Amino acid sequence: MGFRVKAQREIEWTRLDNASKIFPSTYSDRDPKVFRFACELKQEVYPEILQEALDLTVEHFPLYSSVLRRGMFWYYLESSDICPLVEEESHPLCAPIYLGHKRNLLFRVFYYGRRINLEIFHVLTDGTGALQFLQSLVKNYLFIKYKNENTSLPTSLPSSAISRQMADSFDKYFSGGNPFAIKKKNIGKRKGNFNHVYHIRGARFPENKTRLIEGVMSARAVLAQAHNHHTTLTRFIAALLVYSIYKEMPTRKLKRPVVLSVPINLRQFFLSETTRNFFSTINVSYNFQAGPIDFMAVLKAIGEDFEKELTQEQLNYKLNRFMHLAQNPFIRVMPLQLKNFLLRIGSRFADARISSGISNIGQIVMPEAFASHIRQFSVCTKARGIRVTLCSFGDKLVLSFTSPFRETDIQRNFFNMLTEMGVDIEISANL
Amino acid sequence: MSYCNHCRVHLRGKSDRCVLCGNALVNATLPDTEGEIFPDIPLAVESHLAIRILVFISIVGAVVSFAVRMIIPSSVNWPIFVVLGLVSVWLSLIFIVRKRYNIHKTIVWQVTIVAGLSLFWDWETGWRGWSLDYLIPSLFIAALLVMYITAKIFRLSIRDYLFYALLSGLFGIVPIAFILFGWVDILYPSIICVAISIIFLAALFIFEGKNIKNELNKRMHI
Repeated sequence: MGFRVKAQREIEWTRLDNASKIFPSTYSDRDPKVFRFACELKQEVYPEILQEALDLTVEHFPLYSSVLRRGMFWYYLESSDICPLVEEESHPLCAPIYLGHKRNLLFRVFYYGRRINLEIFHVLTDGTGALQFLQSLVKNYLFIKYKNENTSLPTSLPSSAISRQMADSFDKYFSGGNPFAIKKKNIGKRKGNFNHVYHIRGARFPENKTRLIEGVMSARAVLAQAHNHHTTLTRFIAALLVYSIYKEMPTRKLKRPVVLSVPINLRQFFLSETTRNFFSTINVSYNFQAGPIDFMAVLKAIGEDFEKELTQEQLNYKLNRFMHLAQNPFIRVMPLQLKNFLLRIGSRFADARISSGISNIGQIVMPEAFASHIRQFSVCTKARGIRVTLCSFGDKLVLSFTSPFRETDIQRNFFNMLTEMGVDIEISANL
Repeated sequence: MSYCNHCRVHLRGKSDRCVLCGNALVNATLPDTEGEIFPDIPLAVESHLAIRILVFISIVGAVVSFAVRMIIPSSVNWPIFVVLGLVSVWLSLIFIVRKRYNIHKTIVWQVTIVAGLSLFWDWETGWRGWSLDYLIPSLFIAALLVMYITAKIFRLSIRDYLFYALLSGLFGIVPIAFILFGWVDILYPSIICVAISIIFLAALFIFEGKNIKNELNKRMHI
């Protein structure tokens, strides 16, 4: 105890980026702030090769060997010597990763059949960052597996310098200067009073398990439908979801608007290559009592909400307001326990303001040599209510519904609307 | 892959019902060569039988002691002590279980709880001063020893327990107040405790000063 003079490795630790600060305080069994990426190969996964690939990948993503620890005022990430272990899938979907007392890594890599799965605690990174990790992992896996047969497979490692990848882009782009000084001209009002937003209810699974229903379809066919309706994929899917929810709404609740929360990747608006969190969320909504009950009307209203929320000015305003709060000296010196308590209340209020959520990871591209070994990519998350997440790879668009409820009416409405438009769908489910 | 005629979708994996509409699937159009996509994950049945038995025994003990005193009256209200004793044991146990993943945190919590309880019991049983005279100083010495030994046994890195070592070292200096304010009749346990703690803290600061600074920076960053 304390008598060793031998030089020790310097303690390496990192502050949480500004978006992550909320996650360790607000995670729970029902909403573990964990999301999953899966890559389904065309062949069975070999665990030994996956382990080898994982060891290689983690070396290039140093933040992934961190553990989360509690300080007096904030949580922080501390480097560790823990080596991630590849396992066969044995946890329920998106089971909590951070448990408070155990010093464990904030992600898990596991396989089942042909699938390589990556589950990540949101503190570490957002969807874009996690995808970079999974893509590197899959490339390394395929490279090791096929290096003897096919020399055309390139080893590919992330290009951006590690330091830049770890930067907190919130700090870089948002001053947190007084946001109230900004002219409020085009700034949209906050959507919906939480008392009046429609909430989906249902019978829950035991142990807060989540049901995942994945629909695989042709990206081209769905995109053609979106273009037929003169809109983009995300807006089209959002409108389909709102309309599917409407079909199950009791008449007496029609006066409540259906509100979707949509995470926005900020890397497309602000130059950044960070592998940490860099996203914001917007809310889009439709009120079926105020407007006509018609899919085209929903589509139009949702589209307008996107236009209004997705302006540089609106995003700047929101993020500066957020940073203003995060940098408030009174909040900073508040003991962590008190922060946790307040953030938990705040997050319940934020959750009460939405009916559901939709997140589009977009198109996933892999180099040609690797792509031929991959069937599809998919992504899903676990939250308090129903969430839709989608991503596409080649022509395979995978739409994942996660729901804590046994009822599948909304999912059925949703997929039926697509099949009626002539889209061919393959369904798989975990429960 | 099978097909649901109601939803007009294909279904992957082995299932005899459509997950969307719940209707039975009539045909398996293609032989299923894919295997399952998701594993069956059984419910994690957690049994806390040992804890339940202990809770039950505690309640039985408390009820029986009150009943016995009502039948066989005595001048001392001893069932109250039974209940307080049980509360003390539970308090201690709850913290051991909750903090079990961090042995040094457990030690710091136990020292605090046991010191507090001993003061309470000493006062409750007519203040004979045994808590301050003997128990608390020996508790602090024991904490330092146990910390040192466990760190060696589990081969912990210094930075894992530095913070707690610092805390228990600071605890160990507290008995100096007992001596200065004349709260103790028997001086030697307090003297030994304070001396050991000062030596311990000196060693910590001299040999691990930089680590202490880093550790505090890390834990106290705002």
